[in-house]
Amino acid sequence: MSPVEIHVLAPTRFPDRPELPGFVTDVRPARRDPVGRAARAADLAGLAGLVVPFDPDGVESLVSAAGALRATRHARVAAEFHPAVTTPVYAAKLSASLQRFSAGRLDWKIAVDLDRAVARAQGDFLEGPARYRRAAEFLTIAKGVWTASSFDFDGEFYQVRAGGLRFPDAPGPFPRVYLSGSSPEALRLSAEHADVHVLDTADQEIPDLPGVVVGLRLALTDLDATEATIREQAARGVGVFLIDAAPLPDAAYLLGESLIPRLARQETVHG
Amino acid sequence: MVDLYWRLHMEGDQTSLHRRVNSRGGFAPDAPGRIAPGVRDGAPDGFTHLDYLAEVALATEDAGLVGGLMPSFPHTDDPWAAAASLAAETSAYRFMIAFQPGFLHPVQAARMTATLQRATGGRVVFNIISGGGGPSQLWWGDRVDHDDRYDRTAEFLDVLKGVWHGPFDHKGRFYQVENAKLPDWLSGQPFPEIFFSGSSPAAIAAAGRHADQYLSWLEPFDALAEKFALVRAHSATPPKFAVRVDVLARETEDEAWEEIRHGWAARAARETEHGDSVGVQRGESFLAGAGDGFRDREVQPNVWGGFSELRDGPAFGLVGSYAQVAARIDELLALGVDSLILAGMPHLEEARRIGAHVLPLLKGHLS
Repeated sequence: MSPVEIHVLAPTRFPDRPELPGFVTDVRPARRDPVGRAARAADLAGLAGLVVPFDPDGVESLVSAAGALRATRHARVAAEFHPAVTTPVYAAKLSASLQRFSAGRLDWKIAVDLDRAVARAQGDFLEGPARYRRAAEFLTIAKGVWTASSFDFDGEFYQVRAGGLRFPDAPGPFPRVYLSGSSPEALRLSAEHADVHVLDTADQEIPDLPGVVVGLRLALTDLDATEATIREQAARGVGVFLIDAAPLPDAAYLLGESLIPRLARQETVHG
Repeated sequence: MVDLYWRLHMEGDQTSLHRRVNSRGGFAPDAPGRIAPGVRDGAPDGFTHLDYLAEVALATEDAGLVGGLMPSFPHTDDPWAAAASLAAETSAYRFMIAFQPGFLHPVQAARMTATLQRATGGRVVFNIISGGGGPSQLWWGDRVDHDDRYDRTAEFLDVLKGVWHGPFDHKGRFYQVENAKLPDWLSGQPFPEIFFSGSSPAAIAAAGRHADQYLSWLEPFDALAEKFALVRAHSATPPKFAVRVDVLARETEDEAWEEIRHGWAARAARETEHGDSVGVQRGESFLAGAGDGFRDREVQPNVWGGFSELRDGPAFGLVGSYAQVAARIDELLALGVDSLILAGMPHLEEARRIGAHVLPLLKGHLS
């Protein structure tokens, strides 16, 4: 079994906080950021990283990822967003600063196949396979301006002239790109642009994507079952696990103290 | 009350105006003595521009300044990234984030703002730039023309505010949304104060409708007063007025000009790219026919138009003793200015200096 990475999905909302009895002095500060403590826990527990999901009813992921990067030393932090939220040049610009600030620990998870009502509430009326063509242009431009000193692009959705980030040194590596989906359009996009292609279920077929790491999104059940699933999936080539583990931060410690040592007994685990 | 802001150097910081090298923040990797990142035992020390930005933000808070304008240009670090990164380690600092409406979809802007308002306890301020224009807009991938950009800004702010108080439906020229809203626990927060920049007629017309504060670079005081009058004439409800002012203040006037003389002697010819910015053209017009000596650019006492030769940014600022600079600031307040965005190089030490020596001398607009 090859090394696997264990990441957790960050909470994007606050859990309810109980009322304290009136006679108890209550100094609880206002809660400002549901992601930051979870990120710190993942970092302390030695996990490979955390993913801040795109949640229309939760905090925004790029802002939250910035705070999470500042709160951590080692963990990678992936922000999930969809291409209509920003222009590709601005996404690259903002992310380049985060890479400069964090020694290159920011990753992108690109959501393409949004629910129709969610997409329209976000101001995105593009539908069907066109969304994959736009995502491909988005990633081509973001990667293009990241590395090129002068970058021109004329596409179906975007136009750039004499682009190219103007930092004196490269701002670190381009964010690792997570994509998912099983349609032909999704797999074509992953073949072109994904570093990690994430399966949504354990029974999904491993796609033929040369050079792309396969990931799996997995809910934490009990440790025995989770360990067994990870071993099974790692044996068929899954290298990155995005674990939906609630509640965080507690579950991050459980993974760091129990799951990772168990997995390490027989093979190498990268946090 | 008057809000005194300081600038935050998103482009890196210079040690002084003597040499135009941004030795802080990693923008000049070969500068000797560079800081954040620096070199320790022959290797990068692991600090980043953000570590130094944090120092300046904390010094700014401590100096009695309410926050910082965080500019956004192709060659700078990004203000949204920096503000979100520094939310938790500042307590009073207001993040005045510069951005162009073309960068973000207004729903995304609403979500980012609400998240950051929550993270900071309501310390987000907007500096909306409709765009410098010209070929440089296509650097950003923005195809909208100069005057159309103010229509877009207007629609952007309408949608952003609509979503803020959502649910919101909209079908316009630039944006369409259906049932857009913030989650309950992110809604109901204060909407950021809007500082609006732009010197063109289209900008001034739009400012009258959307700005809480109309922000101008410093100009000769008469020209500034005329510009404010023009904005007032275009506004049903006039906005407040804010001025962005570099300050070089020392114990004596001679010491201050000596700093300028140093930088002027060492200045190098540079080409800058400003697209079709009307603000830059206005700045140049006030200096037409000025001689080559640095004092030739002192268009009225202590108002000096040569800063753009010594660092990136606008031409005009104040040079003089602590008392003179304080007196000129009082005169600006008397013109009807409500907020100032001060700046000095280096941003860290000069924030402390201005806080210690100039702010206590201010008398206010009744002086």
